[in-house]
Amino acid sequence: MTVDHRQPSADDPRVLLDEQIGIFEPVPPYPPRTEREAEFYTLADGELLINIGPHHPATHGVMRVVMKLSGETVVDLDPVLGYLHRGVEKLCENADLHQTIAYLDPLEYVSSLFCEWPAVIAYEKLLDVEVPRRAEYIRVLTGELNRVSSHLLAMGFHALDLGGLTPILYSFIERDEIVEMLASITGQRMLFNYFRVGGVNGDLNHEFMSRLGDWMSRATEQIEANVGLLNENEIFVRRNRDIGVMDPELAIKMCWTGPNLRASGVPFDIRRAHPYSVYPELEFDIPTRQEGDSLARYLLRIDEVKQSLRIIDQCLHQMPDGPVMAMLPRLLRPRPGRAFAAVEGPRGEYAIYAVSDGTDQPFRFRIHDPSFLHLQSFSRLVPGKLIADWMTINASLDPIMGGIDK
Amino acid sequence: MPPSTRSWEGSISDVDGRRSAEALEVTALARTWGRLTLPGKVVFTVVPVLAVLTAGLIAVIALFGGAVVDILNANLGIVRFVAAATIILVITIPIAFLNIYLEMKVIALMNLRVGPDRVGPWGTALSVVHGLKVLMKEDFTPTGADSVVFTWAPVVTYAAAVLTIVVLPFAPGLYGQDFNIGLLYFFAMGGLGVVGLLMGGWASFNKYSLLGGLRSAAQIISYEIPLTLSVVGLLILAGTMSLNQIVIQQDGGLANWYVFRQPLAFVVFFIAATAEANRTPFDLTEADSEIVAGFATEYSGMRFGFFFFAEYVNVFILSALTVVLFLGGWNAPMEIDPVLTAIGGILPGLGITTPVTIALDPGALGLPLLFLLLLVPPVGTLLFAAPFFLLRSSMRWWVALIIGFLLFNVVAGGLVMAWAYVSFEWVAGLLWFLGKTFFFVFVFVWMRGTLPRVRIDQLMGFAWKWLLPAALLNLFVTALAVVVIRS
Repeated sequence: MTVDHRQPSADDPRVLLDEQIGIFEPVPPYPPRTEREAEFYTLADGELLINIGPHHPATHGVMRVVMKLSGETVVDLDPVLGYLHRGVEKLCENADLHQTIAYLDPLEYVSSLFCEWPAVIAYEKLLDVEVPRRAEYIRVLTGELNRVSSHLLAMGFHALDLGGLTPILYSFIERDEIVEMLASITGQRMLFNYFRVGGVNGDLNHEFMSRLGDWMSRATEQIEANVGLLNENEIFVRRNRDIGVMDPELAIKMCWTGPNLRASGVPFDIRRAHPYSVYPELEFDIPTRQEGDSLARYLLRIDEVKQSLRIIDQCLHQMPDGPVMAMLPRLLRPRPGRAFAAVEGPRGEYAIYAVSDGTDQPFRFRIHDPSFLHLQSFSRLVPGKLIADWMTINASLDPIMGGIDK
Repeated sequence: MPPSTRSWEGSISDVDGRRSAEALEVTALARTWGRLTLPGKVVFTVVPVLAVLTAGLIAVIALFGGAVVDILNANLGIVRFVAAATIILVITIPIAFLNIYLEMKVIALMNLRVGPDRVGPWGTALSVVHGLKVLMKEDFTPTGADSVVFTWAPVVTYAAAVLTIVVLPFAPGLYGQDFNIGLLYFFAMGGLGVVGLLMGGWASFNKYSLLGGLRSAAQIISYEIPLTLSVVGLLILAGTMSLNQIVIQQDGGLANWYVFRQPLAFVVFFIAATAEANRTPFDLTEADSEIVAGFATEYSGMRFGFFFFAEYVNVFILSALTVVLFLGGWNAPMEIDPVLTAIGGILPGLGITTPVTIALDPGALGLPLLFLLLLVPPVGTLLFAAPFFLLRSSMRWWVALIIGFLLFNVVAGGLVMAWAYVSFEWVAGLLWFLGKTFFFVFVFVWMRGTLPRVRIDQLMGFAWKWLLPAALLNLFVTALAVVVIRS
């Protein structure tokens, strides 16, 4: 048998040698589809396209950002999403109501409870369920604990993106304690799968209460000591001040929510603006800052941690006795209709829009994620800044790619 | 299958025929050789060769030895330089290992982690294993890279780091070469390192590497100016560029160290040295959260190992230079010799012959010294073993002997160190020098554990707007003071 070398097959090792497939360009292999794409991928004199990601230490997951650089300055940038897309919405439309909750956990995997929460509220609206008050208090208590752990992680990674090695590990001391105490009632450290339609999966237990009591007695001092490493650091402050400044009008137009919006001076908090659960009964402030830069976003998270500790304290004192789960049939068939529910998560507004057609599965299940909306303001914040500023802005916006790519 | 052209196919048929022919010619010598085991064959081959070579070497030395020694004597400077360079090249490896271990362990302790604790006691051998790992990794050249420049870049960086050690005075009389332009040579060789980084960044055919290489060029060239200018004031005071002479001038205690006469220069120098060594907070060339690993992104295996080693050798030599210029080099902060002499003087007066007084002049003992050397180890071992054997009934005699031997070694080692410290000036000097230098290495590691990274524009602004004026101010004030005092 003779081999025709004019038509090399894919098995031929010489194919690899002849066509240097080791060289990857950030330019897509298809012709530009929009005017914006054509403009972006046309290089002016002295400009350079560079891929940041999809696997890069500073992208907080699997995000790819194509940057157009002129020297060290970012001229323009184009986030490319979808590397972590699992089709969660479609999965949820093919699962019954209980099963969807487990699919929602890995969306924003550092604040899983806030991904579950809007879904159970939406289902409860569809089913007209009265949730026991003790269950509502437990939801608020565990949710605020999860908010603290998420903010601590964000602060640690903020420092890590700026080159500080130590703060992340100090943050993890507190975060690990919270995660362990949540694991003692939920059974998992990260993907809790704890909230149920009509309540929560289990009551508070002895281990949780003793761990929480221990931690609350030292939490404030410990967190203060840890953030002192960064807040009083001249290099850290100078790298964050006046970087990624967002004015309030644009922030509202960009659909910003959560700490990022409040750092621009807009006191919008869903816990107060559209109250849900038992938040109307609890006392807490909505911290805001006027600067709107990366430093304000970082400091606002510390302020929120303090408020969360206040809420946890009140929850422990006001929590009534009683059941933690409403009496419900095992198979849930909501009435045909639609429900929207939003909660205030550590990154902003987590919302679910669920449409029911009367079966046990949602007919349409729309997930609203705050990180996605924060990410789209890169094109306003980054151009004209340096590459290192992109890291700062990215860390201060605190996106989680699991939620963005859904 | 096409007709084969492989050689072994044709020769198979010949083998049997030739073997049968040879079998007839077997001699007694061949039969004896056949009965030898493999080690026997090796010994009977190697020993005659070694004997011949040794005889030849002796003959060569007898014939030409005098001439060779004359030539070497005539070019003593070159010989000393070559020997020193070789020794220093070898010394850099343990230095780098120690620095790497220190970095891993200290940062781990600062992070409240355990750090390396698996290989060796407290993980001390981990950097050796690290080195072996780097050696065994695939040496990879990316597609599109300029392979010649890519290969030579780590060599240039490492050579630049190593060559600077030649002028460092480690202890009195313990230095590679005492140039009269020592400091200038140091800065010139140290400045070559950036060429290697730039070569690596350019030749890797990677945009991260290119950015890293260009960053390193901008950073190191900018910081070399305040680094050099901060020392000029010191040079005015010292009047020499020889590092050896600068250290000798700082003799006589803490007050004579240049850090107290040139405090501003010390601060400027240390900050600039941090940037020069690419260390946090100025480690922009390998900012892992920005440009992955900078110039070293595409490097693997031992080529990466050379970059890695060069970085830690750089940390050591810049710490050492800081110590030499500002902190008295090998000089002790205070005179401790009088204290030791006083102890040595008092005890014999009381009728006690101490190890210290013997050690100061062991030759005075004469022949008994030999007996001492023969008798002390067994007697000492027995003496140290005796209490363990006598006081613990469950102790086996040989276990007690092992414990006694180990204890004797510890004590004897300590005594030998003390003797060396007292008797040889350079041992004391070396200990002081290494102690101070590793304190500064620790400071570098400490900064890495604590500080975040500065931005490139802040980095450049800091060099040109703050460090350079400060260095110039220091130079101006020093020059003015010298002129006023002298006139």
